[in-house]
Parts: sequence; structure tokens; C-alpha cells
Amino acid sequence: MVSRPAARFAHLAGLVLVFAFAMFPFYWMVSSSFKDQADLLASPPMWLFEPTIKHYAEIWADQKVTAAIVNSLIVAVSTTALAVLLGTPAAYALARFEFRGKSDLWFWFISNRMISPIVLALPVYLLAQSLGLLDTHLVLILIYLTFNLPIVVWICTDQFRSIPPELEQAARLEGAKQFDVFWRIYLPLGLPGVAVSAIFSFIFSWNELLYALVLTRRNVQTAPVAATSFMSGYELPWGKIMATGTVIVLPVTIFALIVSRHMIRGLTMGATK
Amino acid sequence: MSFLKLEKIVKRFGDATVIDHVDITAERGEFVVFVGPSGCGKSTLLRMVAGLEEVSEGDIYLDGANVTDTEPASRQVSMVFQSYALFPHMSVHDNISFGLRMAKTPREEIDRRVAEAARILQIENLLQRKPRQLSGGQRQRVAIGRAIVRNPKLFLFDEPLSNLDAELRSQMRVEIARLHRDLGVTMVYVTHDQVEAMTLADRIVVLRAGKVEQIGSPADLYERPDNIFVAGFIGSPKMNFLKASVAAVNGGAVTVRHPALADDLTLPTRHAPTVQPGEDVVLGLRPEHLSVGDGGAARLALRGEFAESLGATSQLYAQTGNGETLILQVPGRRSLAAGEDIRAGFDPAQAYLFDGAGRAI
Repeated sequence: MVSRPAARFAHLAGLVLVFAFAMFPFYWMVSSSFKDQADLLASPPMWLFEPTIKHYAEIWADQKVTAAIVNSLIVAVSTTALAVLLGTPAAYALARFEFRGKSDLWFWFISNRMISPIVLALPVYLLAQSLGLLDTHLVLILIYLTFNLPIVVWICTDQFRSIPPELEQAARLEGAKQFDVFWRIYLPLGLPGVAVSAIFSFIFSWNELLYALVLTRRNVQTAPVAATSFMSGYELPWGKIMATGTVIVLPVTIFALIVSRHMIRGLTMGATK
Repeated sequence: MSFLKLEKIVKRFGDATVIDHVDITAERGEFVVFVGPSGCGKSTLLRMVAGLEEVSEGDIYLDGANVTDTEPASRQVSMVFQSYALFPHMSVHDNISFGLRMAKTPREEIDRRVAEAARILQIENLLQRKPRQLSGGQRQRVAIGRAIVRNPKLFLFDEPLSNLDAELRSQMRVEIARLHRDLGVTMVYVTHDQVEAMTLADRIVVLRAGKVEQIGSPADLYERPDNIFVAGFIGSPKMNFLKASVAAVNGGAVTVRHPALADDLTLPTRHAPTVQPGEDVVLGLRPEHLSVGDGGAARLALRGEFAESLGATSQLYAQTGNGETLILQVPGRRSLAAGEDIRAGFDPAQAYLFDGAGRAI
């Protein structure tokens, strides 16, 4: 049998290993963004180097990146807002009302996520083209909505179901209309679920690359597209790519930190009463 | 016309009929209690009065108007739920004022009425707290506060005391009775606890399996139960039942025979007797009407089992020769040896008789 300290050490070592494995790419991105091209391409890799912020200065000067970040913000914020706005009433209905076709609708929401995005990329491209929506914010917002709505609906339905029905009945008896019940009871009490789904929605829209690449050109490039666009041509400006990557990660990290309290409560929801 | 009238109410869930042609009325200012074992449909009935449950058949009238299909919000009824159903994210003040805010009552009016309700319920110092910061009893008061602040036509209580401990329960029971007296409003109260029913009600509706067994004042139900179910349900400890047989029927009296009875017992009947000599009947004797010794005009020979002392009274468990168990409630502390022969006496005027179908004779 393994002694306790040894077991503890093994436990800790395992955790460190997993942590390092998960965090190393991130570390590599951030550290590379501060290396100059020569250090970047050095073999064996340079662990100690003189940091430079020239890549950041470069992307700051390059309007393409700032524009891309603004585009990403527009798309991600609009998608998230719309997904929450449309998804929470749907979740309320699914959680509390009985109606014909409810389980079919439920399955339909799930089935949306069964199809690999790449399968739909071409049809969506053709559709967007004939509607004249290519290279607009709207097309990305609409497409991301189809991915994010089911997530909002699932998470919030589950959250709303955990709210005791007596609260709604009490509110109804006190004269609350349907909308009051949703607005004053379900939304505030379901806030953890709403927050979690909003975070998922934002992160997905922020990071999505495939559709952004397919559906946009010059005007509405999002941040991930801008980062990959540096890979064209004869040289690979690794420092610039890495600096762009780091800048892209920041808003999501900040957003997640702000709502992390709700997120933790939301992720453990239902665990205790 | 009665203030509240339930007319031929039926409720079905799928194929199951949970409320079966129920007729109940309540006068203005009356305290009516629905009582019955769990699953008898009493809460469903209350929820239909509230409008939270659809009525399958029949009509509900409130203050002269047919409200059967009226939205809960428009019925002007308030309900106190078993789980209190307080809004956890709102302060006590906001919980109590919720209905007033929904009705767009002016702010000063809201504050005045919340303060008044808080004063009546002695929760003035709790108004800024959230429900999770309150004890069970305090939550109960807030739930009642939310109900009284709107001056509804009708108060509904759905087992409001069942989540409280015994001491708090009797305290709140007194407060609800006081509230009813002070406000003079009509209240309908659901409970499975016959003690709550007996102490609070002007009128009790005993329900079983979706049907009304009997409606009457607490004294009516205790003294003149219509059937063996009501007789057994009302009173604590439960009424003793002995299987006896009819020895003779003589006008308005029936003579019954039981092996434990020293002599045949002749009892006056409430209605013209429907039983024949030789038929089986059930003799009902309340524990508190039995005494040990030779007192009482009728006597039973019993074999003692054991005694439970409750301090002021003792409950003696004894058996008849053919194995029927009886409880005797006697004053003071009394011990009882197993197998001890005891004689129990009672006054025949306090005995009940039921026919083979369980109906009071």
C-alpha cells in the first residue's frame, strides 16, 4: 500500500502535469508575443530572452487588428444579447408550460448541435451570398445565434425548472401577469444559468473561426480571422500572430472573471438545495 | 347566497377522479377547514378555489360571482403555501408588497399597508431581511403578511403549519385564530391535522378519496359523526371500535351484544334503525369516555397490555377477549401490568353505533 505522503505527492504531481499540459500553449503564446523573430525561430527554443513589445506596437498600429477586435465585439455582444433575449423566454416556456410538440421541439434544439459545422459551411455560404449578406455583421450574428440559442435554452430551461412552481403560483395569485412572473421571478432567480449561458455564448462567438473565415472578407473580419490572416504570404510573422492571440484572449478572460461568481454557482447548480 | 360556494365540483387527472362531486359553502367571515388523510384531494380543492387548478366540472362562486374560469389574479384571494413560497431574492418588505406593487398602488399607500401588516404580525424589525435570514416561524409570518396586505376577499391556507416544530405550530395556530378574529375575513384552511381543524374551524369539511364525508362544526363532528371514518378521524386518541352484533331492535333503540360487555347494551338511535337482529354492527367508544373501575352504566371486561403516561393523563392499552385493542384515557399517572384484568366503564349515552356499511345509526 502507498503511504499517505507518497499518495499526496503523486496526486500533486499529476495535477501539476495536467496544469502544465493545459497551460503550456497559453504560456508559449504569451511569451512568444514578447520575443523578436530571431529568438522565436531559435532552435533549441529560447527560455530566457530579452522581452520586446514591438509586436504589440505593430498590431496597435495595424488598423486591421483593432478593427477586427471591434468587429468581434459587435458580433459577440450582439449574439450574446440576442441569444439571452430570445432564449430565456423560450426556456421559461419549456420549463413551465405543457404544449403539443414540446418534446419534439426539445429534440430539435439538441439536433441542431449534432451536425458538424463544416457540413453546413457551404450551404450557409451560398445562402448568405444569394441574400447579399456576405461580409456583414448580421450574417455572423445570425449564424452564431443558431449555435448559441440551443445552449441558452438548455441551460436556462434546466435552471428555471429548479425554481419551485409555488413561487410562480404565489406571484400569479398576487396579481402578477405572465411577463411579470418571468421578469421578476424567473430571470432574477435563474441568473446563474443565464450568466453561464451568456458566457458560453460570448466565448463561442468570440472564438469562432470557421464561419467567420467563410462568410467575411475585408470589412467584417473578426479577431481570429485577423490572427490567421497573417499566415498568408512568404513569411510567418509569429510574434505578431502570438501578440494578436494574446490580445484576443484578454476580453474573454476579463468577461469571464467578471461573471465567474455566477458561473461557479451556475455550474454547481442543483448540487445542493 | 353563501359567500363561497363550491357546486358539484369534479376534478380529474386523466382517468383518475380526485374530486368527486363536492358541494361546500362558506359564509362571510367563516373559518372553514378542509381536513382528511393525505391524498384525499383537500389541497387540490383549495387550489381550484385559488384558480391554480382547473375545474373539470362544476362551478365556484365567490361573493356572488361565478369565478370558475376567472384568472387567479382576478379572484382577489390570497394563499399561504405550505412551503411559504416567499420570493428568495426579495426583502421581506418587497415580498409583502409584491401584490400591491403589481396592482400599481401608490408608494405611500404601500408603505403604510406594509407597516400595518408588519405591526400586526410583529415583524417590523425584519422588513429589510431576505427570507433565507429568517427562521421558519418568521417566514410563516411574512407569508401571512403577504396575504393580508392586499385585503383579499378570501384567505386560503395550504397546510401552513406543517413545516414548523410542535411548539411553534401551536403558537402560530393561536395567532392564525387571533388574526381571523381581528380581521373578520373568510378563511379556508387545509390540514391533515385534526387538532388544527378542531381548534381553528367554525366548520370542518372532512374529505376522503375526493368525497365529502361530513361537514359540520367541530362539536358536531365530535359528538355526532355521520360515519365510522369521521368518528375515527376526529378525536385523539382515536375512537375505539368493537365488532358487536345486534341482539334486538326496539323502536328507536338497538340492543347490541359483545363478549367483553357485561350485559347487553341498549342504545338510542339517531334515525329509525335500519339494522336487523343478528346483523353485525360496530360499537364506537372514545378513549376519554372510558373509565377504569365500576363507574358508568355499562362495563367492559378487559385484559391490560401496557400504559403510557402523558403526565396529566395516562393512556391504557387493553384487549378484549377476542383480541380487539382498546385505548382508555384516564386522569393522572396509572400503571398497568401486562395481563392484568381491568374493568372499564362508560356511559351508554356516549357510545356510538355504526352499521355494517359504516354509517352512524
